[in-house]
Amino acid sequence: MNKHWQRCVPLYDVPLFTRAFRVLCAFGAVACVLALYRELVGLGPASGMNDGYAWGVWKTFNIMVLTGLGSGSFAIGIAVWIFGQHKLHAVMRTAVLSSFLTYASGLALLGVDVGRPWNFYSILMPWRWNLHSPMMEIAFCMPLYTAVPLLLENLPATLDWLQERFPSIAFVFAAAEQMLRNVYPFVLGLGFLLPAMHQSSLGALMLLAGPEVHPLWQTPLLPLLYVGAAGFMGFAFVSFILLLAHLVWNRPLDMDVLCTMSRLAAWIVSVWLAVRFADLVLRGVFALAFKATQPAALFWLETGLLVATIALGFTASRQQNPKLLFHASLAACLGGMLYRFDPTMLVYQPIASAHYFPSVMELVIGAGFVALSIAAFALAAKHLAILPAPLTTWMAMERAQTIAWMSTSTQDETLGCAAAD
Amino acid sequence: MNVTRRNLFRTMAAGAAAAVLPGCARAEQATPLRASAVALLYDATLCIGCQACVAACAEANGEAGDTRLDPQRRSARELNSTARNIVKIYKPVDGSPSSYIKQQCMHCVDPACVASCMFHSLHKDESTGIVRWDPSRCVGCRYCEIVCPYHIPKFEWSGINPRIVKCELCAPRLASGMEPACSTVCPTHAVIFGQRTALMERAHQRIAERPGTYFENRVYGATDGGGTQALYLARVPFDKLGLTRLGPESIPAKYLKWQKRVYTYFAAPTAVYAVLLGVLVKRWRSRTVHEAKVEQATGLRPQL
Repeated sequence: MNKHWQRCVPLYDVPLFTRAFRVLCAFGAVACVLALYRELVGLGPASGMNDGYAWGVWKTFNIMVLTGLGSGSFAIGIAVWIFGQHKLHAVMRTAVLSSFLTYASGLALLGVDVGRPWNFYSILMPWRWNLHSPMMEIAFCMPLYTAVPLLLENLPATLDWLQERFPSIAFVFAAAEQMLRNVYPFVLGLGFLLPAMHQSSLGALMLLAGPEVHPLWQTPLLPLLYVGAAGFMGFAFVSFILLLAHLVWNRPLDMDVLCTMSRLAAWIVSVWLAVRFADLVLRGVFALAFKATQPAALFWLETGLLVATIALGFTASRQQNPKLLFHASLAACLGGMLYRFDPTMLVYQPIASAHYFPSVMELVIGAGFVALSIAAFALAAKHLAILPAPLTTWMAMERAQTIAWMSTSTQDETLGCAAAD
Repeated sequence: MNVTRRNLFRTMAAGAAAAVLPGCARAEQATPLRASAVALLYDATLCIGCQACVAACAEANGEAGDTRLDPQRRSARELNSTARNIVKIYKPVDGSPSSYIKQQCMHCVDPACVASCMFHSLHKDESTGIVRWDPSRCVGCRYCEIVCPYHIPKFEWSGINPRIVKCELCAPRLASGMEPACSTVCPTHAVIFGQRTALMERAHQRIAERPGTYFENRVYGATDGGGTQALYLARVPFDKLGLTRLGPESIPAKYLKWQKRVYTYFAAPTAVYAVLLGVLVKRWRSRTVHEAKVEQATGLRPQL
């Protein structure tokens, strides 16, 4: 089982249009119809949002939480390209695709969430920008990151496919790839700078809410902790996807790469927790964690998940145990998600009387956009060389394709003979 | 302000920051109010809770008045997208003094909503200091609702063209030489309108004339949260009336310090990008060498 990942291979031997895939697409379609309804009637009738909680799950979960998970391209990219962890190269295509899809679906949903989206054209007029607003920084940086570095980083896999698919004009795609190669370091640089900027600004957003965010979370270090969380969530989520691909699509595992990722995630979580606790102690609010309150419970749940990540991550990597790796990555994802979800939603209390619970329609729309990105991942992984595998899998694919090609040509010949007769 | 920002962007684009640095940095700090800055002074000890200002406000802003909760008085219980001004009562159960409280936009000197608004839709009028909303720039992100320490801006939750609604101190009325509707109709002059400096003097005068009447013998809004242009006098503690306890520092000054430092002239991100590129170009070269080796060994095109 333990062969090294050498080359990304499409899911050539797996059916795409399974029942699960059709359900995901149907769910996404329902969400799109409901989103259209929301545009017609306004946010009030479609969601549970109100003047107390002006932000609902679309912003606090689909953007705050899911773009954290979608930071694989940022976190693993830095490990690979800046810190020279070359063996992680194999997982970069999975990372950039997962990042692109989480960001793209989040941004699409943001278009549904804002009340006056037609005024967004101001983004093209820099003299209108309020450069010091964290919201401005995100509004500029997130779409730019998705549209330039993430899209370009996903282009090589697509160009490979196009070259295979349209051999007569393959030279066009080869030329495009060469152009991309010429600017690739600049693209990569943007791909690390922009997420560092907007992931920190996501934390800075809640700074301005001041005392409305519980003191266990509200700290001047919020921007830094948000970037740190993006770091370990990115590692954990890509590991999670790869392990899931092993379970669902029977992809071969590379324990060496996965254990390295798990160790790195565990180290980032360790440093991150140390900073978080030091900050709590230095601000003198640590005692609040020992009160019998809901925020304190959430804090310990969060901390528990992250401590579990460290314990499981190091153990899994020592024992080379894929099951533990899966649990470690899941714990890191959940811990990070909870940390991201708390300050904007669970421990954010604007006025004592304010109350919010997402409406069914709001949840369906939010989940539907996620379903669409999962379906898009499956579709891409089926046709493009995304998921890493040993060279033998690539050879097997080529053999399978040759056989398929041979069998079709034999059929043609038979038909041809029949026609001649 | 505007010109400064434009310069700022040009500087950023040109990547030549150092030359104009000191001048712009001063301009980006909270602007002190001009002498022409206007204000409201509300004295809770004079208010009789008649709600005339609430009705006048609705009329002046072309609203029917929110009658969902209180059809008799035609007034809302909380500020909302049809009520920019309301009067509430604070009545403690222990029998200690009660008080009315008028709620509307505080028109902060350095407002959190203006600092947070991405395209300057919420902006401070340069001469009057009124915080106004520009519908042509608002994206409807509702960040202003998250950051306002007084919970003033409200969003229209239904309809396809929602607005952010809050008191704009009857700016159109002021332009045609009238006073705000609320101060015009107040029978006891509990709320008065004027230049901020004059009203501040007036408030201090009242405190001197009636010693021991007013809470802490001070005006709320003189320096609270960096100062406001709605000034309050009251008998009961301000925080009981929803006048949030804030330090003398404004919210943007307090919480956006680092955000401002990091993004001034885009200098820090530019520097980080330069360093990243330095490393990446080197890594990229060794990567292409490695790819060529792998291609030779396997005969397969390298995957980027």
